[in-house]
Amino acid sequence: MLRNLLALRQVTQRTISTTSRRHFENKVSEKQKLFQEDNGIPVHLKGGTSDALLYRLTMALTLGGTVYAIYQLAMASFPKKQN
Amino acid sequence: MTHQTHAYHMVNPSPWPLTGALSALLLTSGLAMWFHYNTLTLLYLGLLTNMLTMYQWWRDIVREGTYQGHHTPIVQKGLRYGMILFIVSEVFFFAGFFWAFYHSSLVPTHDLGGCWPPTGIIPLNPLEVPLLNTSVLLASGVSITWAHHSLMEGKRNNMNQALLITIGLGVYFTALQASEYLETSFSISDGIYGSTFFMATGFHGLHVIIGSTFLMVCLLRQLKYHFTSKHHFGFEAAAWYWHFVDVVWLFLYVSIYWWGS
Repeated sequence: MLRNLLALRQVTQRTISTTSRRHFENKVSEKQKLFQEDNGIPVHLKGGTSDALLYRLTMALTLGGTVYAIYQLAMASFPKKQN
Repeated sequence: MTHQTHAYHMVNPSPWPLTGALSALLLTSGLAMWFHYNTLTLLYLGLLTNMLTMYQWWRDIVREGTYQGHHTPIVQKGLRYGMILFIVSEVFFFAGFFWAFYHSSLVPTHDLGGCWPPTGIIPLNPLEVPLLNTSVLLASGVSITWAHHSLMEGKRNNMNQALLITIGLGVYFTALQASEYLETSFSISDGIYGSTFFMATGFHGLHVIIGSTFLMVCLLRQLKYHFTSKHHFGFEAAAWYWHFVDVVWLFLYVSIYWWGS
C-alpha cells in the first residue's frame, strides 16, 4: 500500500513538472535567431505577418481618426445659424 | 554587409512616435468632443490607438534588447538615466497637487469655516482602510526587493512567487481604494477638499494601476526567460517606479489622510 502511495507521488510530481515545462519553455534563442536574421526588415515588422497586420490596423485607425478629428474641428468652427 | 563599430544603439526607423503623437491628438480632441458634444467616438479611437502604440513600441524595445542584443552597458546606462529623469518629472507632477493641497489647507478661507477639514466635510478615518493600504504598499516594497534579490541569485521559483505577490498586493490596494472611493461622504465637487483629495489620490491610484501593469509585463517576461541574473533592467525600472508609487502614497497618507483629517 505504501509502495503504491510512493509511486503515485512520483507520478504526480513528474506530470506537474512536465506540464509547467510545456507552458514556459525557454524560446529566447529561437527569437534571437529570428530577429538577428540579416534581411533588412525593420524591427517593428521583423516578427512576421501579424506585425504587418497590426501596423496597418494602427496606422489606419490613427490616420482615419486624425481626418475625423479635423472634420469635427471644421464642423465646430462654423456653427449652424439658429432661426 | 556593414556592421557598426561602436557600442551605441542606432534604432531602425519606426512609425510609433507618429502614431503616438496622433493618438495624443485624438485623445485631447476626443475629450473636447465628449465634454461639449456628448460623443465618445474620437475619445475611444484615441484610447485604442494609444494602447496599440504603447504595446508595439515597448514590444520593439524588448526585441531590440533581449533578441537583438542592442542593450550594451552604455545603452543600458542611457535607459537608466531616462527612467530616473521620467520618475523625477512625475515627482514634480505630484508636487503640484501637494502644493494645491497645502495652499488650501494651511490657510483655510472664511467660506470653508476657517478650518480644515472644512465645515461639513467628514473625512475618512486614517486608522481604518487607509492604514491597511499603507501596510499593503509597504509590504509590496518588501516583496519586490525579495523578487529582485531572488533574480540576482538565480532563484527562479522564488522570483516568480515574490513578483506575483507584489502584483497581488498592488491589485489589492486598487480594490481597497476603489471601495473607499464608494464609501466617502464627499465627492470631487465638494469644494476644495473634494478637489484636492480626489485629484491627488486619483492620480496616485492611476499610477498604482500603471505600476501593476508594468510589473505584470515583467512577470510575463520573467516566465519567458527574458531576464538573466546580471541583466534585467526592465525589472529594475519597474521596481524603481513601484517604490516611487509607494513613497507618493506615504506622503498622501501623512498629509491628506492623517494631518488633513
